Amino acid sequence: MIKREITKNDVFEALKSVIDPEIGINIVDLGLVYNVSISDEEIIIDMTLTTPGCPMHGSIIDWVKRILELSYPEKKIIINLVWDPIWTPEKMSEEARKQLRI
Amino acid sequence: MNNQISVAGIYSPPFRIVIKYFITAIISFIVFNLMLLVDYKSISGHHFQPKILSINHILTLGFITMIIFGAMFQLVPVVLEVKLFSNILAEIQFWIYSIGVILLAYKFYFFSSSLSFEFPAILLSIAMTIFTINIVLSMIRVKKWNITGTYLASALFWLLITALAGYLLSKNLDTPFIKINHLQYLKLHAITAFVGWVSMVVMGVSFKLIPMFTLSHGYKLNLAKWTFYLVNIGLLGINWIMHYPETGIYNLIFGFLVFIGLVLYLIQIFIIFKKRVRKKLDIGLKFSAFAFIVMGISALLNFSFLFYDYEAIKNLTLIYGFLVLIGYISFLIIGQMYKIVPFLVWYHKYSSKVGIEKTPMLKDMFDEKLAEIQFYMMIIGLIILIPSLFLDLQSFALIAFLLFSISSIVFGFNMLKILRS
Repeated sequence: MIKREITKNDVFEALKSVIDPEIGINIVDLGLVYNVSISDEEIIIDMTLTTPGCPMHGSIIDWVKRILELSYPEKKIIINLVWDPIWTPEKMSEEARKQLRI
Repeated sequence: MNNQISVAGIYSPPFRIVIKYFITAIISFIVFNLMLLVDYKSISGHHFQPKILSINHILTLGFITMIIFGAMFQLVPVVLEVKLFSNILAEIQFWIYSIGVILLAYKFYFFSSSLSFEFPAILLSIAMTIFTINIVLSMIRVKKWNITGTYLASALFWLLITALAGYLLSKNLDTPFIKINHLQYLKLHAITAFVGWVSMVVMGVSFKLIPMFTLSHGYKLNLAKWTFYLVNIGLLGINWIMHYPETGIYNLIFGFLVFIGLVLYLIQIFIIFKKRVRKKLDIGLKFSAFAFIVMGISALLNFSFLFYDYEAIKNLTLIYGFLVLIGYISFLIIGQMYKIVPFLVWYHKYSSKVGIEKTPMLKDMFDEKLAEIQFYMMIIGLIILIPSLFLDLQSFALIAFLLFSISSIVFGFNMLKILRS
């Protein structure tokens, strides 16, 4: 079997299955995932949340971690929750904007 | 994993404690509405009547304060990133408080029964003191303080003052001893409860929750600080001046401070709403937005009371009471419950299953159409009720209470649906 290299795009696609249950939009389109770096051993995600002190914190982070662990069991998953830069609505994709303005 | 990332998980009290307060509050709300329906003939005339006092306390203590207790056990740890001091105290408080509410409602309803007024008042005061101690001991360990915390801390102070005034009133009903008019002291008790306890919580929490639910960004909270000072100074003044038989010009000055504080708050909320990214208001936010409008109307009405003898106008105090208790506070609580209860249940049942099983969206955990129907029924009820009270048309008031009752059952059904989803 030929093992295909994992690309950032693959990781972003996987993360699209993590949907904020309150807003109903996935975290990638919301612009919460700032950076993905992939090395031989690990996948590191830099991400934020819409509001500091958001009660959904724990669940969303666990969700991200679990999705990636299930998709890439051979890699160590590291998630950095960052507040700098702070999330702003401008970070959302066109798709997310459309959904919110309906 | 970073420490701060599981805020809800690390700091939240057990689900069973919070949900116990919530379920009891929902039941109280339904009981309140059914009692209005059954006793509709008593809902007229002066507010100092056994049945009105009983029904009123089922709402203010059984629903409003009960839900605030539950919500604060959940929110204080999450918003201030600190563990609740004691889950056991929260558990003990629940039972003392619930018994107190039932006995007080019973005693008001059966005014001449042999039970004293003082006993339920003591139970309620103990429960409120336990609550305050529990939250204060949690708050002193907070590392990052914020404006919500400041509002909540002052709310606790006013809760104790409300409880103390309530206790003194209860003693005065058993054996009169208060030198000033009982009704003037009752006014102090009510103002402190509505503006000091309930509104301080509502305002403090709203600065956190409304932006979160509407995805509002890029606003400043400058007015929030002004509101805090104006309302608190005004309330301290009212609490002082109401101890004298003649309140004179001072009442006007302090009443004006509170009024301006509330107006600034509403402007602050308007700014937050204006800066929201989620343009479409869901049902929870519709209830909340309506509540803020009625809050403004009731603040204006209350302010106008400073200039004329409002008690001479039949049922005007009752109209004011319904506006504050239903139109403002209950609407706001119901709106926020449509946001918070699905989250609590989701967090409890599904957070461990994310990524493995399909998890529901929060808005799919209840019937939004039914919630909309509840929303409009309550508004129509309120619109019918106010002129019916003003013109003293009891059969029309009955229609309003019927609408309220049905809507409260719809609400109960929807909450049950969330709990069982």
